[in-house]
Amino acid sequence: MSEEKIRILERSLKREKAARKAAEKILEDKSRELYFLSEELKKSNFKLENLLSEKSSELKGVFENILDAYVVIDLDGNVLKFNEAAITFFGYPQDAKNQLNVLDIIHKEDMDYALSSFADLQTKGFFKNYRARVYTNSGEIKWVHINASTIYDKNQVPIAAQGIVRDITQIKLLEEQKEEIFQRLKEKNNDLYEYAHVVSHDLKSPLRSIDALISWIKMENEGKLDESTVQNIDLIESTLENMDKLISNILDYSSADTKIEEVEIDLNRVLNHIEKTVLIPDHIKIIVLSKLPVIKGDGTKFQQVFQNLISNAIKFNDKEQGIIEVDCIEKGSFYQFSVKDNGVGIEQEYHDKIFEVFQSLTKREDSTGIGLSIVKKIIDLYEGTIWLESTPKIGTTFYFTIKKQ
Amino acid sequence: MKGIVFTEFLDLVEDKFGLEMVDKIISQSKLESEGVYTSIGTYKFSEMLQLLQNLNDNTGISINDLLLTYGEHFFSVIESSYSGLLATYKDPIEMLSSIENHIHVEVRKIYPDAELPVFIVEEKTKDSLVMIYKSSRAMYYFGLGLMNKTFQHFGSTAEIVLEKIKEDGTEVKFIINKS
Repeated sequence: MSEEKIRILERSLKREKAARKAAEKILEDKSRELYFLSEELKKSNFKLENLLSEKSSELKGVFENILDAYVVIDLDGNVLKFNEAAITFFGYPQDAKNQLNVLDIIHKEDMDYALSSFADLQTKGFFKNYRARVYTNSGEIKWVHINASTIYDKNQVPIAAQGIVRDITQIKLLEEQKEEIFQRLKEKNNDLYEYAHVVSHDLKSPLRSIDALISWIKMENEGKLDESTVQNIDLIESTLENMDKLISNILDYSSADTKIEEVEIDLNRVLNHIEKTVLIPDHIKIIVLSKLPVIKGDGTKFQQVFQNLISNAIKFNDKEQGIIEVDCIEKGSFYQFSVKDNGVGIEQEYHDKIFEVFQSLTKREDSTGIGLSIVKKIIDLYEGTIWLESTPKIGTTFYFTIKKQ
Repeated sequence: MKGIVFTEFLDLVEDKFGLEMVDKIISQSKLESEGVYTSIGTYKFSEMLQLLQNLNDNTGISINDLLLTYGEHFFSVIESSYSGLLATYKDPIEMLSSIENHIHVEVRKIYPDAELPVFIVEEKTKDSLVMIYKSSRAMYYFGLGLMNKTFQHFGSTAEIVLEKIKEDGTEVKFIINKS
């Protein structure tokens, strides 16, 4: 072999050896890298296992401790899991639940509703506030409230569904009773209203007859009656008029708690109207301190409220210069109105009593004792309150609130 | 550039021209690695360029022809080392159109830092394929060699036309028609 050839072979051999060492070095580095990587993996695996057992324990606690029934079903509705509460509620023994499908326990009339909720579970992934009937193992029908959601695997593929089932049988019963009582009350109220109408009509017609008869007697005997008889006849007439008013007021009172129409009412116009229709003596002035709001409600009712309060303020004013101030301020979701007078005032002990029916503090002929109770009823209807501040002999301020619509 | 490209290249040179030629082109080149290559190492592409240039100088064979032959040789490396990968294909057109989405994905599992060319499929029928080759290495003849052998592997032949999109060969259109 030539020397040249030997040198070539030697160089080649040297390169091969160097290449082998380089490869070994690379592999060693890779091995080390892999070792550390696997250590890292072990560590994070350990952490994950811990986290998993922690979460599992948490979930197990929730599953066992929850007061409501907790049910897990597969996508066909077969029951996979019942907690203790579910076993007690549905009355199935522990092993029987494995052959149970939720469709078997749904009340037949609620089946469509149940199927559409089940479809929601598939499309939306949950349903809430499902309220329907189920059969328990003993055949008893119970009302349940269910919130349910789909369980997904890590690839977001639905694998099961879980639901929390609450027994609302008692609540449902109470709701039904409440509804029944409410209906009956409504009917009774209507009856009463009708009754009041009939009675007031029937009472008014004999009054009108008496009134007519009296005026005939007066006409036919003009000049023949002595002065005291004429006075007595006048008294009869004014008493009749009062009685007629009393009957009208009772009718107003009986209908004060029903809203008839809901329209926009400009209270400034209501006040103007009252100032024109109510007889205001010359020595009394009505002052509206601020622009009143436009509210939604029954116009006649607000007319009644202001008219009653203003009439009282006029009626019970004993001052040389009577002043009645009407004002309104906004208080959150309410309007607060006030009607202030400088009249006779009301003793503290009567502040509640005056809102009761037929509680007139004076024996005045033009006072029926119904006005303020009508006002209170109307304020109640508009979710407000009424109260007063008063100093006897100095004056009274009535306050009332009306909820903004 | 991955070491396997160097080791296989030098093996081929030794096979075709003898150990003397290997020794010659290594000593004529200025190599940082001093010609010590292991298939799992990584070396500068400029070393490959020098080796190719010197082989061309010594043999008079054009670099493109050298690359073509080398590509054809390299297919045999794939055949012997990665026969499993080839076995997943029944048709050369299918295999070539999957370079980007399958074969290179597999290559990266073994050589995560490999700098691979890009093959974009432009048109594909049962018997034809148009792909754009993109690589700063401009070794499209190496690709052509691989492709020739691919058809041979599946017992068929094809006419492959190359159209340079960029003059330096860093972007080339491969028009392949199965015959």
